[in-house]
Amino acid sequence: MNHWRVIDTGLRPAAQNIALNRALLEARQAEEIPSTLRFLRFTPSALLGYHQSAEQELNLDYCREHGIAVQRRITGGGAIYFDETQIGWELYLHKRDLGTADMQRISRRICHAAATAISALGVDARFRPRNDIEVDGRKISGTGGAFDGDALMFQGTLLIEFDVEKMLRVLRIPAEKLSDKAIASARERVANLRDLLGRRPDAALIRSNMVEAFESEFGVEFGDGDLTLSEDQRYRAALREIDHPDWVGLVNRPVADMPILEAAQKFAGGLLRAAVTFDVQTQTLRQVWFTGDFFANPRRAVADLEAALRDLPLARLEQKVEWFFASRAVDMLTLTPADFVAVVRLALKQPLLASNP
Amino acid sequence: MECNGCEFRPELYYDAEFQIWVRIEERGELAVGMTDISQSIAGKILHVRVRRPGTLRPAGKPVATVESGKWAGPVPNLFDCTIAAANREVLEDPSLLNRQPYESWIARVQPAQPLEQALSVLLTGDAAWAGYQARCRRDGIACKRLPA
Repeated sequence: MNHWRVIDTGLRPAAQNIALNRALLEARQAEEIPSTLRFLRFTPSALLGYHQSAEQELNLDYCREHGIAVQRRITGGGAIYFDETQIGWELYLHKRDLGTADMQRISRRICHAAATAISALGVDARFRPRNDIEVDGRKISGTGGAFDGDALMFQGTLLIEFDVEKMLRVLRIPAEKLSDKAIASARERVANLRDLLGRRPDAALIRSNMVEAFESEFGVEFGDGDLTLSEDQRYRAALREIDHPDWVGLVNRPVADMPILEAAQKFAGGLLRAAVTFDVQTQTLRQVWFTGDFFANPRRAVADLEAALRDLPLARLEQKVEWFFASRAVDMLTLTPADFVAVVRLALKQPLLASNP
Repeated sequence: MECNGCEFRPELYYDAEFQIWVRIEERGELAVGMTDISQSIAGKILHVRVRRPGTLRPAGKPVATVESGKWAGPVPNLFDCTIAAANREVLEDPSLLNRQPYESWIARVQPAQPLEQALSVLLTGDAAWAGYQARCRRDGIACKRLPA
């Protein structure tokens, strides 16, 4: 049987945690360490995805005023807020551990195991493609990955008693998403273990469930360990690079290249508002939010539509919205899929058939 | 030429894992791109970042990074070089790498050593074809393209 290692690096500032990401991934790639499960926690931090720009994604004034560190992850995905109310879990693996090279399949396999571990606490957690774990349609764990040669790292959050409002204030989002109603609706879309269980879950139990689930998924046995000397050396070198403004500013695009554009339109089925962060250079919808006064059942359909429109080239908007509503049953009374397209186009002031610059 | 639906171009140069292809350009420059195998494994690519032109990249340090489905990682580099240019079309529409992997170079680089020396660490022709097929079969890789 293969022996893997589990470590807990405790509560640390973001720069240290990200430097450890780099160090352990490099050490795994160099075959200096066994495959490893790491638990970690963060002091308050806004974490950018590897290819994101702080100015475009974060409310930097709020972060400064509240002593929230801004850091860049080595993994992909979107910006998140991470603090002591969450636990982080990470796997450092070699490709031969996985039996497939397909990155989506690797995500799926790891998330299924993590969902099993979370479910063993007494909730019904499931993997939801692309990369989230949910309880009853509410996100409880978000994930992302990084690879380097034959080594890869996959990481996830686990919400224990997370304050959604704080996350909304850290991110650059439309002002109306900070209204009481919008915050309440954002709260409905995430699940905290403390709320679900009615008590703060035992951290040791979470760790042992994760260990068991990954042992069973990969047919291995975990043993406790500490950072090795080579990891510590790699960590110190990585920290010099990562705990530096150049790393955080590695991708630095002006806000003007990604405006938040908004529009509202009255349709027969109700009032529909759209706010869109639009990547002007690549003509891509980065994120779309729908609000307004309309009926949709199931309610999560709107959130699912928002998720489906992430990182979508504008040219494919109509096709994607059509596919979305064709592939599931959503009752919206007289509101139509075309209405969603129309309000997004109105926000962009690019009605259909207008030629893009 | 193809294996499991993965296209192979015998005139190009490859690393031993067939993650990247390299093509000889004018002025002693080399173009670097992702193979059909790499783009299929990655899935739809959402972001590409190339180091600034003029940046020195030692062997082992990536010339570029890519991101797909929340996975981020390097486009590897096997010889010392300087970044000469990034392909603007690919930066603006990274999914070109999924549609036309061999037409879509990512970066052009100037090797530090003579061209022959840089290419000597790469595979081409029959040797590359044999290795390419072996990799496809060993890892059960079947290639998929986004429609052009």
